[in-house]
Amino acid sequence: MGSEDDAALVARTVAGDSAAFGVLVDRYAGQARRVARAVLGDPDDADDAAQDGFLSALVKLGQYDARRPFGPWLMRIVANAATDRRRRRNVRRSEPLDPSLVGGGPRPDAVAVQSELGERLRSALQELPERRRTAVVLFDVEGYSHAEIARILGIPEGTVRSEVFHGRRRLRTLLADWKEQVR
Amino acid sequence: MKDMSSDFRDPELAAALRSALEPRGDQAAFVARVMAQYDHALDRGTVPTLDVLASWFRPGIAAAAAALIAGFLLGRAILTPAPASFDTALAPIEGQGLAALVTAPDPPDASVVFASLVEQR
Repeated sequence: MGSEDDAALVARTVAGDSAAFGVLVDRYAGQARRVARAVLGDPDDADDAAQDGFLSALVKLGQYDARRPFGPWLMRIVANAATDRRRRRNVRRSEPLDPSLVGGGPRPDAVAVQSELGERLRSALQELPERRRTAVVLFDVEGYSHAEIARILGIPEGTVRSEVFHGRRRLRTLLADWKEQVR
Repeated sequence: MKDMSSDFRDPELAAALRSALEPRGDQAAFVARVMAQYDHALDRGTVPTLDVLASWFRPGIAAAAAALIAGFLLGRAILTPAPASFDTALAPIEGQGLAALVTAPDPPDASVVFASLVEQR
């Protein structure tokens, strides 16, 4: 069952096979949760949004065109679910960043290096415009093409390229500074 | 110098971002949670299954067919003129306007045509 293609699983889900839906959820859970977290920042909110996305996709499965890949279609729904949730909880997300996370803080303890790098990256991601950070995550982390990301985000492919370029520039700078600090 | 082009993936950045965005909880627990919501939605009937869609489909077709037949019959009743008797159809039409229209050597002007039409009523 694990190797069954997405279109077949979708067809079985539409026919009422809940196990097939379970396989799809398992297959895309990691990706959906990461994309939602890129949008929302908070991991619990992200899981709620990813869940909303899966259930929303289930209701819309009749609209899915089986000739196209399932992943981008699903990620569009998940990203929209995350954006909706972020709008509803915008006040909570507007708290200022801790200056020590943006740079110039004390040299980190070697044990906490990885987790602090993660924290800095998450903070840097949240500084980027939502569309930009989502584009970078979809391209570099999830491996989608520019054309697929354009469909997911509903923007022109050229805009996706620009968003990925500018988003990366900020994140790469942060990564380079980090490596200098821990050297 | 790292390639800043957005055409190629950056493995180092990808690994760091993936680690930073890794979900906090166990995946199996997340899948179980989504499936529990799926079952709950099915119980409440908020997830349209194929059976539900099919059950909407049959009455929909029947209602559309009934509306089509009713519309056709009503339209035919309105548009069909009342039958005229044979005598009425053959009765000669009298009046100067019509005579002038038929006998004039030149093409009629609009007032003559209008007069001939009014006289027929």
